[in-house]
Amino acid sequence: MIFTTPYWLFLLPLAVLPFLAETQPREGYPGLELLPTDGISSLVKWSLRLAGVLGLAGLILGLAGVGVGESSRQVVGHGSHVVLLIDRSSSMDNTFAGRQPDGSEESKSAAARRILKDFVMQRPGDRVGVAAFSTAPMQVVPLTSARPIILAAIDAIGRPGLAFTDVGRGLAMAMSTHGQEQAGTGRSVVLVSDGAAVIDRRLQEKLRAEFARQPINLYWLYLRTSGSKGIFEQPAPGEEDTPQALPERHLNKFFESLHVPYRAFEAESPQAVADAVAAIDKLERRPAVYTERVPGIDLSHSAYGLAAAAMALLLMAKLFERSLKIEGGRRGN
Amino acid sequence: MIEFLNRKAARRWLLITAFLLSAIAAFGWSVRHSQDLVDALAIVDVTGSMLVRDVDKGSQNRLEAARSTIVELAQALPCSSRLGLGIFTERRSFVLFDPVEVCANYDAFSGAVAGLDWRMAWEGDSYIAKGLYSAIDEALPAKSNLLFVTDGHEAPPLPASGVPDFEGKPGEVKGVILGVGGRDKSPIPKFDDDGREVGVYGVGDVPHDNRHGLPGKSASSAEGWHPRNAPFGGQAAVGEEHLSSLRSEHLKDLAQRTGLIYAEQQNGAHELARTLRSVASRSSEVDTDISSLPALVALSLLALLYAIAWRANASRLHPASH
Repeated sequence: MIFTTPYWLFLLPLAVLPFLAETQPREGYPGLELLPTDGISSLVKWSLRLAGVLGLAGLILGLAGVGVGESSRQVVGHGSHVVLLIDRSSSMDNTFAGRQPDGSEESKSAAARRILKDFVMQRPGDRVGVAAFSTAPMQVVPLTSARPIILAAIDAIGRPGLAFTDVGRGLAMAMSTHGQEQAGTGRSVVLVSDGAAVIDRRLQEKLRAEFARQPINLYWLYLRTSGSKGIFEQPAPGEEDTPQALPERHLNKFFESLHVPYRAFEAESPQAVADAVAAIDKLERRPAVYTERVPGIDLSHSAYGLAAAAMALLLMAKLFERSLKIEGGRRGN
Repeated sequence: MIEFLNRKAARRWLLITAFLLSAIAAFGWSVRHSQDLVDALAIVDVTGSMLVRDVDKGSQNRLEAARSTIVELAQALPCSSRLGLGIFTERRSFVLFDPVEVCANYDAFSGAVAGLDWRMAWEGDSYIAKGLYSAIDEALPAKSNLLFVTDGHEAPPLPASGVPDFEGKPGEVKGVILGVGGRDKSPIPKFDDDGREVGVYGVGDVPHDNRHGLPGKSASSAEGWHPRNAPFGGQAAVGEEHLSSLRSEHLKDLAQRTGLIYAEQQNGAHELARTLRSVASRSSEVDTDISSLPALVALSLLALLYAIAWRANASRLHPASH
């Protein structure tokens, strides 16, 4: 129970007025003692008093802005905590064919934007956070259930990006976005990038320790530009098998070595991206307990309504009022 | 008057009026008026000079002050206003998310603002003028106003040619440049590679002049000047670029070039909200509930009714006063 303007409650003592006086006028009658107590009369008397109290108190409570405060409840549904880790490097603005988008084809960022927005909207139970990385990692939106801000953050993928792809520090940022809260909820990081980079040894070890400490499902949605190296590509004979030469293959190997549930999706077209996101959606469908915020309810109008109903009763009594005095059959005055 | 109210018909009308007024209050009564709504993209400078602790007598650094001002702004704006967020460093602005409605997204928005960190900066340079111009370019397609929060400390200093030209249309994007920081020159904290604070910048740590482009007209009178070998003079420049204060003159100049309004953080978030509302391009019809007005009158009438009855009883009990 909350009050938006509680100082009106100082008027609440006014609600005892019906015990001091009645809206019906009193009239003298000689010797009431002779009459037996009439049950119906006292019922009427008390209900009119009660109506008076309700009328006054209802108006005062309404003025004080009575309401039920915002609360939260635990809901069992499908949902988990998902952090979208999005590559904001400028190569995302090209098409899957590696060209400038010309109207007939979508750019990688436009496809990712459209499909991720659908993904977020299809899963109302999720708490979603967004982190971005390019030259530096950035926390964009902390885990939240509010959808518009998530959609706005996904929309920002279309904004001009920066130069590089620092996957390692981006991943560390996504892990910290998850934070320590809520063990027991499914937690996942969806990495969306169109390239990979070498993660240096020291950072690799830190990430390994971090993943060991808090198990997080990892999905890598690799938007592959045609002609570029793939995740699963074997080095050609004679080709160097180093992270510098084949960063995607080695990043994949690093993720596999983390001992957490991990899936990599290589998408070479908008359709493949949609399929991959659908697969992630299926994998992340586990029953989960999440907290839903229930907005507060303003009850002041109901309080006014109660007061009005009580006053209707008083008014009825008033209109049925007859005087004991007989003054030429006149009623009133 | 009392005599009149003592009449039964008068009391009946009192009760009828009170009943009707509370019925009106129960169904709700509202008036419609228009309200200016703000759509703004807030771009926050996250470069090194923003970490100078000179706001509120040194209790806050400039970035902290900027963060709390933006959160307070979100509180001060009417619902349905929208705020977006971005950062500025090096020579360009980077949008984190486009403007979103401030009330429904308040939690996440304030969380995102709290997450603004100097570690997001991808480069140490701070070309304020260029960053501002790129922020204007970012605000233009979003059709929003701009709130550019900075201390105006250019690092490296501007070249001899002065402030780079603004190529856009002044006034096309409206908004506010919000200056944050103190008037006195204060030292800038310095961090090592792992992000630990290791003292402050010294005189020798930062360049004190900009030797890109052509030298200024007065360069030829500098000591050791040589047209080919030392066009900027023979001596290394010394200055106070390792100390930082709010460069309000520079920001006022930039505001004039770009058609924005210059305001200062120390005037508070409500002043800022007012300034932003003065350039707001969007307004909405809002319904304000005034049901409490008829309810208040109904309450007075009902209380009056009982008070009169009480008085009448009292006088009846003491016939002497009748």
